[in-house]
Amino acid sequence: MTSPDRTTGPDPTPGADLRTEQLNLGYGEARVVHALDVALPAGRVTAVVGPNGCGKSTLLGALARLHTPQSGAVLLDGRALATLRPRDVARRIGLLPQDADAPDGLTVRDLVRYGRHPHQGLLRQWSPEDAAAVSQALAAADLHDLADRPLDTLSGGQRQRAWIAMVVAQETDVVLLDEPTSALDLGHQLEVLELVHDLARAGRTVVLVLHELSTACRYADHLVAMLDGRILAEGAPVDVVTPALVRELYGVEAVVLTDPVAGTPVVCPIRRVPAAERTRQPAPA
Amino acid sequence: MRRGVLPSLAVLAVAVLASLAFGAGDVGPLRAVAVVLGGGDDDARFAVLELRVPRTLVAVAVGLALGLAGAVLQAAARNPLAEPGLLGVSAGASFAVVITIAAGASAASVGPAVAVLGAAAGCLLALGAARLRGTGDDPIRLVLAGAALSGLLSAGTSVVLLLDQRTADEVRFWTVGSVAGRDLGTLGEVGPVLAAGVVIAWLVARPLSALALGDSTARSLGHRPARARALGVAAVALLVGGSVAAAGPIAFVGLVVPFLARALVGPDLRRVLTVCLLLGPAVVLVADVASRLLVRPYEMPLGVITALIGAPVLVAVVRSSRMPAL
Amino acid sequence: MTATRPATAPATPPPGTWRVAAGGRSVLVDRRAALAATVLGVLVLLVVAVSLAIGTARLSVLDTLPAAFGTGETRDVLLVQKLRLPRVVAGVLVGGALGISGVLLQTLARNRLATPDTVGLNDGATAFAVASIVAVSTSLAPSALALVGAATAAALTLGLAGGAGQRGYRFLVVGLGVGAALGALTQLMLARAPIDAANQAFPWTVGSLNARAPLAIALLAAGLAVALPVAVVLGRQLRMLRLADAVVVGLGLRVARVRIAVIGVAVVTAGLAIAAAGPLGLVALIAPEMARKAAGPRSVAVVGSALAGALVVLLADLLGRTVAAPLELPVGIVTAVVGGPYLLWLLLTTRTRRIP
Repeated sequence: MTSPDRTTGPDPTPGADLRTEQLNLGYGEARVVHALDVALPAGRVTAVVGPNGCGKSTLLGALARLHTPQSGAVLLDGRALATLRPRDVARRIGLLPQDADAPDGLTVRDLVRYGRHPHQGLLRQWSPEDAAAVSQALAAADLHDLADRPLDTLSGGQRQRAWIAMVVAQETDVVLLDEPTSALDLGHQLEVLELVHDLARAGRTVVLVLHELSTACRYADHLVAMLDGRILAEGAPVDVVTPALVRELYGVEAVVLTDPVAGTPVVCPIRRVPAAERTRQPAPA
Repeated sequence: MRRGVLPSLAVLAVAVLASLAFGAGDVGPLRAVAVVLGGGDDDARFAVLELRVPRTLVAVAVGLALGLAGAVLQAAARNPLAEPGLLGVSAGASFAVVITIAAGASAASVGPAVAVLGAAAGCLLALGAARLRGTGDDPIRLVLAGAALSGLLSAGTSVVLLLDQRTADEVRFWTVGSVAGRDLGTLGEVGPVLAAGVVIAWLVARPLSALALGDSTARSLGHRPARARALGVAAVALLVGGSVAAAGPIAFVGLVVPFLARALVGPDLRRVLTVCLLLGPAVVLVADVASRLLVRPYEMPLGVITALIGAPVLVAVVRSSRMPAL
Repeated sequence: MTATRPATAPATPPPGTWRVAAGGRSVLVDRRAALAATVLGVLVLLVVAVSLAIGTARLSVLDTLPAAFGTGETRDVLLVQKLRLPRVVAGVLVGGALGISGVLLQTLARNRLATPDTVGLNDGATAFAVASIVAVSTSLAPSALALVGAATAAALTLGLAGGAGQRGYRFLVVGLGVGAALGALTQLMLARAPIDAANQAFPWTVGSLNARAPLAIALLAAGLAVALPVAVVLGRQLRMLRLADAVVVGLGLRVARVRIAVIGVAVVTAGLAIAAAGPLGLVALIAPEMARKAAGPRSVAVVGSALAGALVVLLADLLGRTVAAPLELPVGIVTAVVGGPYLLWLLLTTRTRRIP
């Protein structure tokens, strides 16, 4: 796969300005995300990375209006999400959560149809736009032949593509994906990531939570590294990913090389840094 | 362990004394205590020795049986909401008795064996309906299945009673739980059954507690989950059947007692069983004393009090964070 | 970003559905569900006709429906309209309401055993109704108190559960407890009541279509007229709730609101039905099963369940009136006796309890 060409992509869509302002998220007493300010670049792929429990999934959830902020806000085009109607938010922001679950027997087409819900109403249950959107989404995900197969008869990669097709059919400016490749093998991972890349090339703002740093570097235009609910570093992968960052983020001493295929950073771990050592200053890159 | 046993013992002792001291009739606590100490007038002696002592002993036996049965059932079903009353085990026992009497037997001749068989059937049906497999079982499935089964059996019992007046008269005692008017003869009949149940519960405690880890893990540790469950069911059937034979169906004791026991000594089944041996009788005695005092000079049926205590406990269990599915 | 699309693209409905459209508005109807509802509707009409015909004075089946509308011999019209029609209408309404309540709760909980009977509504209604007859003297009719009782039980349950919980589970389990407590109270009242009062209270423990208060029936009819369309809308939203919560919220559905609304409608319909005919167990369980088998797993068959419920109640009533004639078995007994084994079979033979 050749290096994705981002410098000559289409102009970012106006009106997909998604940012957070002093966002504080938590469950009950526990605070998971602390006073976070982040602006998600429109029309680009942003990857959010970090160790388990750093708050990246929670952040994504807040961007999709799944969680109510304890304080601060998520702003879409300058307006706080909490002030918008859920249906309006759903027309602008689409989410594919982790462990998305569907009942047995549901077909691919049925699942993708659900994605049209924000555009439908009590008396507008199926319009030409809906039919077209579903068929375009199926084409984009290359699932036209599998459209009437039940989800549970498909492979992991195909199923994940079906879920993404549902979000595509939602026709939102922003697409949020939480670990879309975690349980997939290499081939299926590439299937999904290439589809995601195509979405961004078509002009949508894509935000991905990924646990694999090298993959994130390869497919993201913008990287956000989180630790303990705060942003540790932010920027283009080639600028942000250094051995010092890897050591601080994951407690791993690593070498950062350049991927010969894509030209993006690749992280090669050397060893795990024991906790005692981590308190010392990290070695210079 | 001490933390749980001593307070329970103390509560039990107080409960026993209260059961001997208080009653719905005229014999007040002072006169009753006099009897216990060796003296007392004839009326008091009669009330305490002929009425309250047997009643107390029956209540102790029933409380012990139901408390243990609840703990065992919850371990076998891996579900803190599994309760013999809620799951239709008690209803199965009552139904079996009602059917037997309607089929021609007289109430006097129906022994605890019928109740035990009915309880076993109810238990097997409820567990079978929930289709227990590995961990990750939906705990609500069992509860709903049990509720459906218990409703079904109650309806069946009502139908039989409706159609057969003779049975209805003889059977009133079996359909409403109460320890009032029970004598030592009843205790003698169900004693062996209850004792067998206690012994089996004891033997199966260790294997059952391993079930909490899930069938596959338990098996890899050398246990036999199916056998443990089967023995658990046998223990529950004996304990509940015997209890219904002695005092009719009393619900919620099997929920409240293990809940309190777990709060005192933690989830390990053997410790819980030990504490249930003491707390079970205590809870039933307290409920029985309340039933005597709340509407003097009448008595409220025990089943009503236990339901009124049990419902809040059910709510508490449901609201506790230990049940993620809720 | 919306893709530019030719405005004349056809709106091909998804497979298995019909699209009914007019002037920019459109509605999707599941084919199989619509057919099932039609068949059930026809069956209901047939059973209505038969029910009106059978009794101490037999009428020809063909005469009954016209007589219900006032045409035909005066004697027939009188018989049908004054004596039998009220009963049959009550049966249809009660069955319909229970069917709706059942399908809503079952779909919400994704469990076939979640019914208004399980949740303590019946116990609440019975307790209050019995209380009004044997214990407390009030000027309100038992029907009214039954409705109050069902509502109280539901409110108590909802309050104690602190909300619906996932899939409405918390509501269901707490409802069990509340139901048990209220059931115990009913037992207490009946045990202490003098024999006459106990006998008078008996119909309220079992469910019957005999001589029901016309006001309760009218209230039920009004309630059903409102509840049915609301339930159909909720059914569509319930279909979506089968997906994971996070997905559904991302699609713009207000999940908590939908759950509460579903429980609300289920409680109201069941409560009104119980107030009209007493606690009719098992109808709310069986009717949605029948409807689901006929309509298929893809849609939430609200209309089908209502019709199936009506069918079950009418058939049970017919059976109760004919099987032991001249003795009349209350409907509640028949549904218990016939539904019981079916429930048992259901419990033991189905592999999974999930509704697809």
